[in-house]
Amino acid sequence: MAAPAYPAWVTRWVSGQWRNKKRPPRLRPPRMLALADKVANRREQATDATCITEMSVMMACWKQNDFNDAPCAQEIRIFYDCVAKAEKERKNQDENTLSSRGNLPSSKVNKLLGRFPQITRYV
Amino acid sequence: SRHSTALGHSPASLVPCRIMPVRWSRYNPSYLEPEVKKELYQKPLEELTKEEREQVELKAVRPIKAAPPSVSSSVFSDPMISKFTNMMMKNGNKVLARSLMSQTLEAIKRKQLEKYHKAPENEKETIECNPYVIFHQALKNCQPIIGLSNITRGGKTYQVPVPLTDNRKRFLAMKWLITECRENKHRRTMMPEKLSQELLQAFNNEGPVIKRKHVLHKMAEANRAYAHFRWW
Repeated sequence: MAAPAYPAWVTRWVSGQWRNKKRPPRLRPPRMLALADKVANRREQATDATCITEMSVMMACWKQNDFNDAPCAQEIRIFYDCVAKAEKERKNQDENTLSSRGNLPSSKVNKLLGRFPQITRYV
Repeated sequence: SRHSTALGHSPASLVPCRIMPVRWSRYNPSYLEPEVKKELYQKPLEELTKEEREQVELKAVRPIKAAPPSVSSSVFSDPMISKFTNMMMKNGNKVLARSLMSQTLEAIKRKQLEKYHKAPENEKETIECNPYVIFHQALKNCQPIIGLSNITRGGKTYQVPVPLTDNRKRFLAMKWLITECRENKHRRTMMPEKLSQELLQAFNNEGPVIKRKHVLHKMAEANRAYAHFRWW
């Protein structure tokens, strides 16, 4: 003969689970089931240093010529050109383009999300 | 032209610095910098390039800042020499600084003329007698090409080789010259004499200031492994 199937409350009552005023946990209202308007702050990875190859070429030339500038004029000129180009690119960088690694920093993402916030109520 | 054009870039060829200060300036941003050079006004309209024509049209509608007393339209004024004089000045004594500067240039000219008249005929062309040319060339020879900056990583501070801006290079060259002349001289030598000596040595790529520049370069070369710590 199978055990009689009592409803759940009967089993609970009989077991004495609720005798000492032990109640099931109160359900706190869950957080709003929608995306927030912010992302967590992430530490930005350092961007790469520019013009390192030109600098090392120039330094090799210096080492050979005992740090005189006259024989190394070509390398120095190349280094200066590279630095000027990098500076110009830094200045002309648009604020909303992706960084060299292809991701936006969290501050910019928050600004963008703030412009288009989540709609919580219809008025 | 001496000021940043309306298109936002400043020609770096001749001028080392702006005329008006940037911070604490009470002028409205629409005010343009004054043009002091007479040659640009004497050019007829047809010879101007497109940019200069636009500049002239802009000047007709925008207000212009007052020219400070330190700039002049004379042929004898040189912005680099004025900057150097200002750096030499102590406690606002511009009269003394300017007289020292002119005595320095005179001393350079005298020394070079003496060398010129003593030299044999074939070497006379190689001797440079123009003190302004000597000054500019000496400053250019003293400018460092790469500098060091302190960058802290993981609690330790490293000296990282870093490219310098033009203004910073000029400033360092002038500062080194002035400190060298102030500190390493006999108490009875006058500043113009010592300065002219240093400038002539720098013109020939020798002397203590050039040595200081080489020391900086050597340190940068020694620390080139840390160059990746830079993020610009």
